[in-house]
Amino acid sequence: MNDPALRPAGVHDERVAARLGVALGVAFTVCFLTGLYSHLAQHPSLGFQLPARPVGLYRVTQGVHVATGIACIPLLFAKLWTVYPQLFQWPPFHGLAHAIERIMIFPLVAGSIFMLFTGLANIHLWYPWRFNFPDTHFRTAWIVMGALVVHIGAKVTVTRRALRRTPADPVAPEVVADRRAFLATAFGASALITVFSVGETFGPLTRLALLAPRRPDTGTQGFPVNGTAKETGVLSLAQSPDYRLRVEGNVRTPLSFSVDELRALPQHSAELPITCVEGWSVSRRWTGVPVRDLLRRAGAPPHARVRVESLQPYGSYTVSFLDSDQAHDADTLLALLVNGELLALDHGYPVRLIAPDRPGVLQTKWIGKVIVL
Amino acid sequence: MNDRAPESVEDLGPNRVGLVVGLMLGVPLMTVGVLGLWQHMDATPPANYLRFFIGGDLLHDFLVAPVAALVGVVIIRRAPALVRGPLRAALFTSAIVIAVAWPGLRGYGRARAPDNISVQPLNYATAVLTVLAVVWVVTAVWVTVEVLRSRR
Repeated sequence: MNDPALRPAGVHDERVAARLGVALGVAFTVCFLTGLYSHLAQHPSLGFQLPARPVGLYRVTQGVHVATGIACIPLLFAKLWTVYPQLFQWPPFHGLAHAIERIMIFPLVAGSIFMLFTGLANIHLWYPWRFNFPDTHFRTAWIVMGALVVHIGAKVTVTRRALRRTPADPVAPEVVADRRAFLATAFGASALITVFSVGETFGPLTRLALLAPRRPDTGTQGFPVNGTAKETGVLSLAQSPDYRLRVEGNVRTPLSFSVDELRALPQHSAELPITCVEGWSVSRRWTGVPVRDLLRRAGAPPHARVRVESLQPYGSYTVSFLDSDQAHDADTLLALLVNGELLALDHGYPVRLIAPDRPGVLQTKWIGKVIVL
Repeated sequence: MNDRAPESVEDLGPNRVGLVVGLMLGVPLMTVGVLGLWQHMDATPPANYLRFFIGGDLLHDFLVAPVAALVGVVIIRRAPALVRGPLRAALFTSAIVIAVAWPGLRGYGRARAPDNISVQPLNYATAVLTVLAVVWVVTAVWVTVEVLRSRR
């Protein structure tokens, strides 16, 4: 086995590790920043105000978040394979700096595997654990990013050397070819699973979304549903003949409407995306009553924030908030129709919130109250 | 796949300045994460969390990577030299495709939300076989090109 021709070599070389490392570093940073945006968007108590424009901003950031995470899976496995022999190096440390560097690799590797596994499982609604996914995924991201920063600092010299030393490479052409083939394999696998999954958010590739857990063209009324009316326990309340939508709180005149009275109000239509935090998204034409029209009728203050409450008796997303910017945007609707059809129960009949640049879990369904703050 | 040691460039060890700067910037970020987990222990039960955090790493280091090494020794190295690169690529990509589709193949989401027709709506066995067919057809073309090139 000493014949180099019998032994494809060079895969464990620092040049391979550096290239995969740079790609993963960039990809993880993208995931972290887009994840942070999503976290801030979903936690109004942190004081971040979601902009209403551009309309598809959250659609892009969250689509990129999930697609990049999926694309990282082969890159991470390839990178771990490249550096695998170092796991068994002896002695394990030579000096304090090396010991610290190696110890910090554990949270980086374990955290990276954890993040990609939990992210992939979550988009498939697979929860083999007992912890809360958003909380844990978000906080572990900080651990991974911190460990990544330490790793980048420790590896800066080696990485720069590895990325520069290509033209006068002293090794055999077969070794160089083997490295290239390995990198092509890692990046090729990454591209392949992206092509076969990104169609859950990127329209032109919908038909190729064979590895995605959702299809933007499949579901009630032709697009996906996150929580159904049945599982959120809202079936009878949403169909009750006594249904009223109430507008109250910091208003001059509290209002109350039946479904027919809402339909009799001036209607507005807007093409807006619905974007799930789990990565799928789709654009639809929604028709309903602009929230700002209701606020005006009720005599709400000009820059009021709004709390929207669902009829659903349980579930994690029964309430959402509209910041001033979103509450007063012309396209923020209490939607009654989608693509000209009455909303299906699973999509929030009789009335759902639909606003620009907003996570789907905050596009509250089966609205019972609009409370002006 | 191979077990050859890195090329004989000198081992630089960590960049000490970089490591110190990295620690100064990175440790506070990690602290945010650890404190957050600690403060929300009700949502992130530590024992269960650590089981997955450490378990994933152990699973990789002592099962996935050794199996990959075994495949390298048993299958890839026994193949003709021209085929090794494409074969490694095809096996690696196939394993990745199956891993990514695993929750769909097992139907975990559908079992959790049986009334929701939009969750895992495909026949994932067919879907995966379709993607694998693409992988192996591309591999066959790659091998053919390599063979033709070697005969010139």
